[in-house]
Amino acid sequence: MKKLLLTTIVAATLFSQAAFATQTIKANVNGMVCAFCAQGIEKKMRALTQTKDVYVNLKQRIVAVELKDGQTLSNDKVKAIIKDAGYDVTSIEVSEHPVAHIKAELESKAEAKK
Amino acid sequence: MFYQHLKVALPLLAMLLSQPATAGPMGFDESFMAMGDFNNNWRESFINYAITPRDALGVSATYMRADDKSKSRTLEEVTYTRLLKRWNAPHAQANLWFQGGIGALQGEDKLVGENRDFDKVMITPGVQFDYETTRIYFQAAHRLYRATDINHDYTSLRAGFSFYESDYDKTQPWLILEARNMNGLSEKIEITPMLRLINKNFFVEAGVNNSREPRFNFMYIF
Repeated sequence: MKKLLLTTIVAATLFSQAAFATQTIKANVNGMVCAFCAQGIEKKMRALTQTKDVYVNLKQRIVAVELKDGQTLSNDKVKAIIKDAGYDVTSIEVSEHPVAHIKAELESKAEAKK
Repeated sequence: MFYQHLKVALPLLAMLLSQPATAGPMGFDESFMAMGDFNNNWRESFINYAITPRDALGVSATYMRADDKSKSRTLEEVTYTRLLKRWNAPHAQANLWFQGGIGALQGEDKLVGENRDFDKVMITPGVQFDYETTRIYFQAAHRLYRATDINHDYTSLRAGFSFYESDYDKTQPWLILEARNMNGLSEKIEITPMLRLINKNFFVEAGVNNSREPRFNFMYIF
């Protein structure tokens, strides 16, 4: 009984962690050369109820949208928002890292290149 | 023959009209853009609203004065801005814009022995092309300012570079050089070197022209 209870607790914990693992949609974007011009991407992404955080990197041409726990957002929706803002998405992927990690990773790559 | 031309023209037109927009003289979809361009002889303020990703409607007020102060004009107009074409590359963007307006022009000409005041309808259709990377900028614009017996057509060229690349949330400084002319108001070409500061929230430029007059521009999207 104790084993069953323990197994249930562990399974529930693992399941909840899997269900609420960080999900960040990361897009490579063409045409993003000006922060003043690209602000529309950030504002439209932040207006979504699913969005926890947004990161824009002009030099690396990246837009990353971290979702709130348990939320989903389709790649097509992200592509449509970026396209409506006036830019082209060249590739898109889902990452299990939060925006803070992606930001730190890109910034350390940029530092290493200097 | 006509229908053959139409078969070619319509898809091209559809392609031109299919590109969404931001950057340049309008903000992103469902945003307002406020802009001002000020010096002693040209003071323009406008605000527009992006009704679609590539179209904006707005209102504008402009004060124009001749170099010798013999002529002055005020123009209040409703305006329409449209992105005609955009090109996105990995590290560059280029745009072709239409900007036009129609409005009320009030003017005063100080002639020898008399002053002449008038009220007319003015139309102001024009195009603007710009190309930029994170380090260089180029813009060419030509806009007609026409009313009966009035031609104040406006032409400008701008080119510049940024001192360094900046992160998205940092302010980036640029050096921009502009050459412009207003027909019928100035015989000379106005040259203005300007410092531009731009970040994700605002865009400002300030400089002194070749007549030693100050110049200030701003854009703000909200």
